[in-house]
Amino acid sequence: MNHMAGSLEQYNTVVWHWPIAVYLFLAGLSAGAIISAIIIKWMKGNDVSPWDGIIKAGAILAPITIGAGLFLLIFDLTRPLHFWKLLIHYNFGSVMTLGVLALFAYFPVVILFFLGVFKKELIENGPFKFLAPFADMALTYAKAIESVTLILAVGVGAYTGFLLSAMNSYPLLNTPILPALFLASGVSAGISANLVVGLLFFKNSTGESNVSYMHGLDVKVIFAELFFLFILFVGMMYQGGSSAHVASAALSSGGLSTLLWVGVIGLGLMLPIGLNFALPHGVKHSHGFVIFNALIVLIGVLALRYYILYAGQTFVG
Amino acid sequence: MQKQYRLLYDENLCIGCQACSIACRVENSVPDEVYRVQVHMQTMGIFPNLGMHYERLSCVMCENPPCVSVCPTNASFQSKDGLVHIDEKSCISCKYCILACPYHARFINPLKNVVEKCTFCYETRVSKELSPACVSICPTDALTFGDMRQSNSLVYQKSHKEVLLFPKAHLGTKPKVAFIPNRKGAKS
Ligand code: SF4
Ligand code: SF4
Ligand code: SF4
Repeated sequence: MNHMAGSLEQYNTVVWHWPIAVYLFLAGLSAGAIISAIIIKWMKGNDVSPWDGIIKAGAILAPITIGAGLFLLIFDLTRPLHFWKLLIHYNFGSVMTLGVLALFAYFPVVILFFLGVFKKELIENGPFKFLAPFADMALTYAKAIESVTLILAVGVGAYTGFLLSAMNSYPLLNTPILPALFLASGVSAGISANLVVGLLFFKNSTGESNVSYMHGLDVKVIFAELFFLFILFVGMMYQGGSSAHVASAALSSGGLSTLLWVGVIGLGLMLPIGLNFALPHGVKHSHGFVIFNALIVLIGVLALRYYILYAGQTFVG
Repeated sequence: MQKQYRLLYDENLCIGCQACSIACRVENSVPDEVYRVQVHMQTMGIFPNLGMHYERLSCVMCENPPCVSVCPTNASFQSKDGLVHIDEKSCISCKYCILACPYHARFINPLKNVVEKCTFCYETRVSKELSPACVSICPTDALTFGDMRQSNSLVYQKSHKEVLLFPKAHLGTKPKVAFIPNRKGAKS
């Protein structure tokens, strides 16, 4: 092949780079953290102050991670100072616009949740007395606000998948399973991050039974993720044509496939499942192990976002 | 009156001279390292049975443009004549459209940091009843441009005479650029 015409670089480059992968990770983590915190809060005995460490962890992580993710997203724009135009122009057919609208609603409700959970520290004993009405509102209408939050969190977790699956010329991205995969792995990341933060920073208030409940839930979600990944690739194989080619290339070629097998599947999914079955009960429930397990899950989820984003743009049939 | 533009690219007539690409560069001040249009040539087959395969790479002005449907700010939009344009002022340079375009027709202009692509030279030429720069310069008349609503236009007549191939038609984008495929076939 010769290129008398000139460079073809423009026609096959990766357009969205790692900051987008990290954003997708953080958005999923944020949604997962608030979802799992609300699940714990709704369990019997957990719905009153003093809050369980996992609820506190979720209350902190959800706003911080989504905030950090959006910051990254904005500064990844070629012209970051133009991002505000996103707030005044809407295209309701664009997944990006729908995501922006979901985040518009999501951000305030996770902040409300945070204020409610940390009312004592921030408002009663802290300097933020003027926020008292918001914290009271969060506590008075807790059930209603949390229900809305839960729905929005599912929206935020899934939208990151729709964002990529809306593009019909990338076989690996253009699959209906992607939003489900991203939502599941986001929940898994959120649970893990909550466990790490809860056990490291709110050790005294983190209930044992909640830790094992979360850990057990994480293992189930990991099974779901494995299943979704399986469906993704098997589905593409059965589609035949270029989809099948893309699937086999994405599974077998280059550093990206190594990342998939070693990082995503090996470290992030199989190792946690294996350890969970192999280790004796005592070790499995030690805090050290739970934290270690949570960290490898987090690495695996980040690797998954990175893999999907890059492999999706690289292997196009 | 609304138009129904079409651009025909005849692979049989193209000699791969790149005059179209250069004319485009001059007309639209396209920086060196990026292309609004280029004709990609590939030598196919095994010596001495060689053949050239030409492919014109550019925006094909989709009737159903994915770049427009993903754009969060409507900066990418379709005019009433069905042409797809970019409003630089409302573009946030998120690059979603670059990804969504199945023809890889879009790029970031490295000098202006905005998203760009072929416009059919609408502002400077087509709106003044001239043909796009690439069409007017082509030495072999491999490119034909015009309004399909006018049955006396060359593009209409050629479209009805030749076998047309619409690139990536299976995606349902309905391109306004059509190829007249190589009749001698590409050697594989
Ligand atoms: S100017 Fe005409 S002949 Fe030359 S490369 Fe372009 S289309 Fe082909
Ligand atoms: S070819 Fe690409 S840039 Fe041009 S209208 Fe179609 S999708 Fe948009
Ligand atoms: S880069 Fe500009 S034109 Fe393209 S989708 Fe984003 S806002 Fe729209």
